[in-house]
Amino acid sequence: MSSGDHERFAPRWYRPRRLAVFGVIAVLFLLTAACSQGIQSTWDPIGPVAQKQLQLFEVLVWTMVIVFVLVEGALIYIVIRYRRRPGQPRPPQIHGHTALEVTWTIVPTVLILGLGIWSVFTLFELDQPPTDQGEILEVTVTGHQWYFEFEYADADGNGKLISTANDLRIPVDRPISLILESDDVLHSFWVPKLGGKVDVVPTRQNTMWLMADSDLIEQQLPATYYGQCAELCGIAHAQMRFRVTVMSEEDYQGWVREYSPPPALTPRAQQGQTLFAIHCSLCHTVNGPEIETVAQTRLNSFLTGQDNAAVPGPNLTDLRTRGTLAAGIIDLSVENLRAWLKNPKDIKPGNLMYENAVLYDGGGDAALSDGEIDAIIDYLLNLTQ
Amino acid sequence: MATITEVLPRPTYGATGLWSWITTVDHKRIGVLYGSTALVFMLLSGIEAGLIRMQLATPDSDILGPSRYNQMFTMHATVMIFMVIMPMGVAFFNFVVPLAIGARDVAFPRLNALSYWIFLFGAILMHFSFIVNQVPDAGWFSYANLTEQPFSKNMGLDFWALGLLVLGTSSVAGGLNFVVTIINLRAPGMSLMRMPVFVWMTLLTSILLILAMPVITVGLIELVMDRNFGTHFFVPSEGGDPILWQHLFWVFGHPEVYILILPPMGIVSEILPTFSKKPLFGYPFVIFSGIVIAIMGWAVWSHHMFTVGLGPIANSVFTITTMLIAVPTGVKIFNWLGTLWKGSIELTTPMLYALGFIFLFIIGGLSGVSHAVSPSDFQQQDTYYIVAHLHYVLFGGSIMGIFAGIYYWWPKLTGRMLNETLGKLNFWLIFIGMNVTFFPMHFVGMNGMPRRIYTYSSEFGWGDLNLLASFGYLILFVGFLVFLFNLWQNRTARRVSHDPWDAPGVEWTIASPPPSYNFAEVPHIRGRDHYWIVKDEAREAGNPITEPEPMVDPSTIHMPSPSYWPIVTAMGVGLIAGGLLSHYGVSFLGGLIAFIGVIGWSNEPAAAEEGH
Repeated sequence: MSSGDHERFAPRWYRPRRLAVFGVIAVLFLLTAACSQGIQSTWDPIGPVAQKQLQLFEVLVWTMVIVFVLVEGALIYIVIRYRRRPGQPRPPQIHGHTALEVTWTIVPTVLILGLGIWSVFTLFELDQPPTDQGEILEVTVTGHQWYFEFEYADADGNGKLISTANDLRIPVDRPISLILESDDVLHSFWVPKLGGKVDVVPTRQNTMWLMADSDLIEQQLPATYYGQCAELCGIAHAQMRFRVTVMSEEDYQGWVREYSPPPALTPRAQQGQTLFAIHCSLCHTVNGPEIETVAQTRLNSFLTGQDNAAVPGPNLTDLRTRGTLAAGIIDLSVENLRAWLKNPKDIKPGNLMYENAVLYDGGGDAALSDGEIDAIIDYLLNLTQ
Repeated sequence: MATITEVLPRPTYGATGLWSWITTVDHKRIGVLYGSTALVFMLLSGIEAGLIRMQLATPDSDILGPSRYNQMFTMHATVMIFMVIMPMGVAFFNFVVPLAIGARDVAFPRLNALSYWIFLFGAILMHFSFIVNQVPDAGWFSYANLTEQPFSKNMGLDFWALGLLVLGTSSVAGGLNFVVTIINLRAPGMSLMRMPVFVWMTLLTSILLILAMPVITVGLIELVMDRNFGTHFFVPSEGGDPILWQHLFWVFGHPEVYILILPPMGIVSEILPTFSKKPLFGYPFVIFSGIVIAIMGWAVWSHHMFTVGLGPIANSVFTITTMLIAVPTGVKIFNWLGTLWKGSIELTTPMLYALGFIFLFIIGGLSGVSHAVSPSDFQQQDTYYIVAHLHYVLFGGSIMGIFAGIYYWWPKLTGRMLNETLGKLNFWLIFIGMNVTFFPMHFVGMNGMPRRIYTYSSEFGWGDLNLLASFGYLILFVGFLVFLFNLWQNRTARRVSHDPWDAPGVEWTIASPPPSYNFAEVPHIRGRDHYWIVKDEAREAGNPITEPEPMVDPSTIHMPSPSYWPIVTAMGVGLIAGGLLSHYGVSFLGGLIAFIGVIGWSNEPAAAEEGH
């Protein structure tokens, strides 16, 4: 059989030229997919911390790409060039070369130390927030199973205390200093576009700083950025997300001014207020910042690990101003809130509201009528219609 | 002469049957036991990996659900590390080291059997968690205090901790055995600087095992105490410190990484010279860089903890030490390239795997440098970028090295050659599948995907590359099936000579499979590449060697007798741990059995009496 026959009888896809075209398409697809910048990408920094970390990474990567091409190229070249040919005599028996050994020990050492020293400088540079770029806003981040709580001890410069959850609001172009705490297990606070992660560790007060730089932001403000817990923290770890809303200074101050409990105006909202007090208030605060003693009681109850124990639930005071529900996994809307209250397990498996609240002990939907759920929604979202 | 225990019959060459395997103290058979057990666990853990990839193939998927998913990644890593790569290394130590140093067995043959049986019972104990459906679910690192009350409510972590404690016992016993063997049982002429690189790496790995396992043992005992006896070593609300666990774990965990990679590096250093027909380039530098890695491996553990908040000074120190450890690793790679340079390279299956090891390990090493730098690592820590990196060193490195070793020493073990065509198919499927699975993970990680999440929303844009990675898994799995088929069809393969590769090692001087006593006459080692020297001289003298060393009647050679005390003692140890998971009465029984085992063991005559 001639080679032409072979060509004719081979499956169509097997013909070398088609295979090559297929390979090129596959590689192009891979590169397109690989280089796309998602909503949580580290390749698209919007602040100085993420930007410096990315610059360091890029220098390292390109250095490594050069080393890769040289070393792998040498490997492939040698394997092809010195592949055994029939009847080849035994090759020269070389045992080593001291000068070469010394060279390839010292050259990488120098290269590595150079990169290492530069990275140490970056490390110290990023350790503390800059003091010359506007007033530093301090926020305490507390990791809970499974959401992040944010507490502003002095949100407006006049001592206004704000407790919120899942939605961190920060003014643009101001350094934000974060104090990271946990009452239960390890978590890790990470907003890739703003900066690398820092673990949230019980027994420890870690700090980090971030800044959203208006020169790097292409979107209109307020702009939303995505973050996620990066340390395994239990069953709902994958759904421990949050958002960072970067706002202009005026918008931010406006949000701070408006932070208040729902006023409960309509009769249905008043019914909701009563229902909330009965079914929800054991774990959720709705009327302003967290009170130290209440939070401590909830924590102690949670740590007993008993069924139906109260747990530290997210503060719901300004729920109507937030973008999301259930630790950032669904958008806030009346329909989503209704579905969430009806059966939170379907949305976020393992969540403590479903596990611990008496309402869900039946194993299915909440022990509330649709009207009662709507009343609670009215109360929480301050709907006056 | 009356003895407390009757000694079992002398081993006869080629003895078969279950009883001969249970009572064996022959290092070659123990090596086979280790290797085949590890292959079974490799298949099991590979299936766990498949479930992980199935769950992650598409966004918003809920095939496994969060709790099963957490169990799968925990067991996949724990099994791959402690029940696949480590015992595979030990399988090679067992089969190769005594042969490569011209010894008849290891220094303590019964201890060797004990190591295996303890390993087996520890592994089975941990897998009991599947039967009672209380599977460990806190990751292979099991960071405190997710492992403590009230966050871990079932017994999964007890299975994990006690299983690892039992496995650790086995590792320390094995480590001691091989240090003593290598120091004491080398044939005359085999000075330390003539030892094969694989034997050197075994020595270093054994020392690391002896030093590293006690650290994790302390942590595991504290964890078991916390969970069962009301202590609070890692419970923050009671004054304990979860970070203490991380330090204990990684002071063990980083040397462990070198425990996993040094043996395959040794394997590759044996294979490259054989198939390049050149001695290893820069032998003393390869050995010395191995020693430097083994020492520096103790000074880099906190690079797993850059984001814990240890502060810039600690992070700087560990950044520099971690970057520097790339240098001795690089030296090894350069010397391997030097070995290939101007060689006469034959692309057999073991050689392909060895070259694949180098190719992939370079990628893993280079990506490692990018997160050795702590500010850069802050973005990469706990993302899929790390998952990609670790699979390039553990799969691209360790597993490729292990496959290289299996293909290389198989003809010595069985006297038959594995099919080369299937072997090459096996290699290319695994090499391509490995890259398709793990290379995209670099990009997904940098695109913000954290590790250990069971699901992800489609809005993140991670779906395409995850699907590609899952497709790569299928290629890998087919590759592994081809490997199993190759082993299976080997029963009827053609027999080959005792030295099919024209190799330099001492182990190739004897028949394949080797007789139970290995060497009828203890060889005098002529140099680093002993058998090449011997064969050259014979060729120059005009009568090239075509036959192995002649065999003798095994009964004329004094060999250790089989013993059932190792398995009895090991069963006692397993029951002690099992009792802590069920009823203390079982522990008491286990203690009693172990005690009887030790008494029986110490009163057993070293060998059968003359005339048996």
